[in-house]
Amino acid sequence: MHEASLIKTLLEQVDRLAKEHAAVAVEEVRVRIGPLSGVEPMLISAAFERLAPAGAKLVIEEVALTARCRDCAESFELQRFRFRCPVCQSAAVDVVEGDGFVLESVTMRHAEPTGVAS
Amino acid sequence: MSVQVITVRREVQAEARASAAEFRQRCTERGTLVVNVLSSPGAGKTSLLAATARFWSAKENAPRMAVLVGDLATDRDAQRLVSWTPVVQMTTGGACHLELPLVERAMEALGDFDGEFLFIENVGNLVCPASHDLGEHLRVLLLSTTEGDDKPAKYPKAFRTSQALVVSKLDLLPYVPFSVEAAAADAHEIQPDLAVLPVSSLNGQGIGEWCRYLETRRTTLLGQGNAE
Repeated sequence: MHEASLIKTLLEQVDRLAKEHAAVAVEEVRVRIGPLSGVEPMLISAAFERLAPAGAKLVIEEVALTARCRDCAESFELQRFRFRCPVCQSAAVDVVEGDGFVLESVTMRHAEPTGVAS
Repeated sequence: MSVQVITVRREVQAEARASAAEFRQRCTERGTLVVNVLSSPGAGKTSLLAATARFWSAKENAPRMAVLVGDLATDRDAQRLVSWTPVVQMTTGGACHLELPLVERAMEALGDFDGEFLFIENVGNLVCPASHDLGEHLRVLLLSTTEGDDKPAKYPKAFRTSQALVVSKLDLLPYVPFSVEAAAADAHEIQPDLAVLPVSSLNGQGIGEWCRYLETRRTTLLGQGNAE
């Protein structure tokens, strides 16, 4: 269960972004998780709820594991972690997406400028 | 109030990976090959490293090695290794995997180690350690014959990110329903480039081949041999 340590790393990055942009609050944190990311979406959600500032919502986008064949250039979705091209049966395949835990975006709220001084 | 969406699109572990790459580079410059050893609990990581140290200690001009060993709570693994090799215990305080800062701190305890091999014995776990780059040049996965040959597909990340599969406890092969060929075939579906090295740390079978594999990999990865 390393999800708590990953959420701490994620929240440090979110906090830094919020400070850089002088936000008053973080509303939403959007992440992408693939089957080969090594993280479990349910555990990530639980860790986020426990550690994130109140009011911040986590949105998880689960993506498929996709790869590209180095021999015939076919792009395909990997099934059951079998790293083999379905067209030419080559084992020389590179993962294109689905092996990461990615911070997609952060939605934050700003205080409105106070406007023209009267 | 105004709302703003900042697009980041970056790996959460990008910074940790950059630090790991720097650590790896520093070790490359010293001529030290870093080997991260992963397995489930009780697969024989400590026994393999003790057998490795014994094999090299009996050889002339053998490579020098050191071990950083991760454990949740005790120093039992370090005690088993200390008569064979320099060893530093890293106690994770219950954490299921090692992260680079702990490794770097343990490295300081080794002083100016510039030996040929630094082994990191990870916490026994095939899930979490697979996601953490410790600055290793080589990731080795240990699978014992008592665990069953169906494990590769159950732990795809650990197998996909490793370069070598050591099948341990070969001496128990007559007593357990385990096929080295079946385990290797399953593992190769996930990582076709995986080198497969069957060993018995107990009777020494395959330890010579394992050590030669390490020396060859070191020459290839660091671009220098032991013949200086």
